[in-house]
Amino acid sequence: MALINLAAREINYKIVYYGCGLCGNTTNIQYIHRRVNPAARGRLVSIATEEERTLYFDFLPLSLGTVKGLRTRFHLYTVPGQSFYNASRKLVLQGVDGIVFVADSQISRLDENVDSYLNLWDNLRAQNEDLSNLGMVLQMNKRDLGNIFSVSDLTELLNHTGSPVLEACALTGVGVFETLKTVCKQVIAKSSRS
Amino acid sequence: MARRKGLVISDEQMKVIDGVLSKLQHVTGSHFVALISTSGQPITVSPPDVQSDTLSLAALAAGSFAATRQLAEVLKEREFTLLFHEGKESNLHVIQVTDQILMLLTFGHDTQVGLVRLYTTRALEVLKPIFEYADDSEGDEKLIDQDYSLQAATALDDLFPEQGAQR
Repeated sequence: MALINLAAREINYKIVYYGCGLCGNTTNIQYIHRRVNPAARGRLVSIATEEERTLYFDFLPLSLGTVKGLRTRFHLYTVPGQSFYNASRKLVLQGVDGIVFVADSQISRLDENVDSYLNLWDNLRAQNEDLSNLGMVLQMNKRDLGNIFSVSDLTELLNHTGSPVLEACALTGVGVFETLKTVCKQVIAKSSRS
Repeated sequence: MARRKGLVISDEQMKVIDGVLSKLQHVTGSHFVALISTSGQPITVSPPDVQSDTLSLAALAAGSFAATRQLAEVLKEREFTLLFHEGKESNLHVIQVTDQILMLLTFGHDTQVGLVRLYTTRALEVLKPIFEYADDSEGDEKLIDQDYSLQAATALDDLFPEQGAQR
């Protein structure tokens, strides 16, 4: 799955943040960009509309440094959440190693979450590839708001794979790095086994 | 169902690839020539010391090329294999090498587009067979192992701050 350049001794993993419109994909990436060691991050690229809604994707490269002689990088992407941008989401999913599904915990966003989750799996299956070595994490975002689902209810709805679940408030950064760390460890562990 | 494709490029393959890119860059007078994956990751660039944000460039060029392929589908065209952006100071030429690989070149107005297309086509004839053998199953077994996984996990713990430290 990952791109390994033996000559340059480099390995690149692709992580995609996926979820419905306004779920907090971009907020996660922006928080990481603000708070991670500047020496470890590249430029944050956003292709957004004038209203700052994601049009195509956000992109942030992170360098883990050299691990066992291999320069290790993670390329973080978000997809546009709005339902009519499915063609863009399919393109961003190409070559993905790990996915963070960002769920909006508010009860009022139930339909959007479920639609987005089903859409994710439709798009992954359309790639017609074995998904067993794909990293997957469920982030329950906006846990600071009122009128939200319980963790167990959302897990039942949006986690048929039994993936790790993390609670977050991306706006203040709660759970953001824990989510990233979890998915990064997963993709590395899966690539070392595959 | 196909196995998920990765890409492993060996030292020997990379030597040939770098040789082809270096020659192509020289004969076309390009500012630089780069190979990237269709998933948006840079593979190599010639000259190696080029002052450019190749990470962002690779992500954007791959996205742009992928969108172009979808445009072809909408227009019921079999495929658009070439993407060309004309600028005031320089031009960007993106061409498909294989299903997983793209090549991009940037060059100024003192270079003829036809010349770039001619030499690029020749370079592709050399590059395509190389990537047919760049399998995802060879060469990485010794590198990406349990030990790598453990060391990477420690590095991740060091790089990403704990919640308490973020506030």
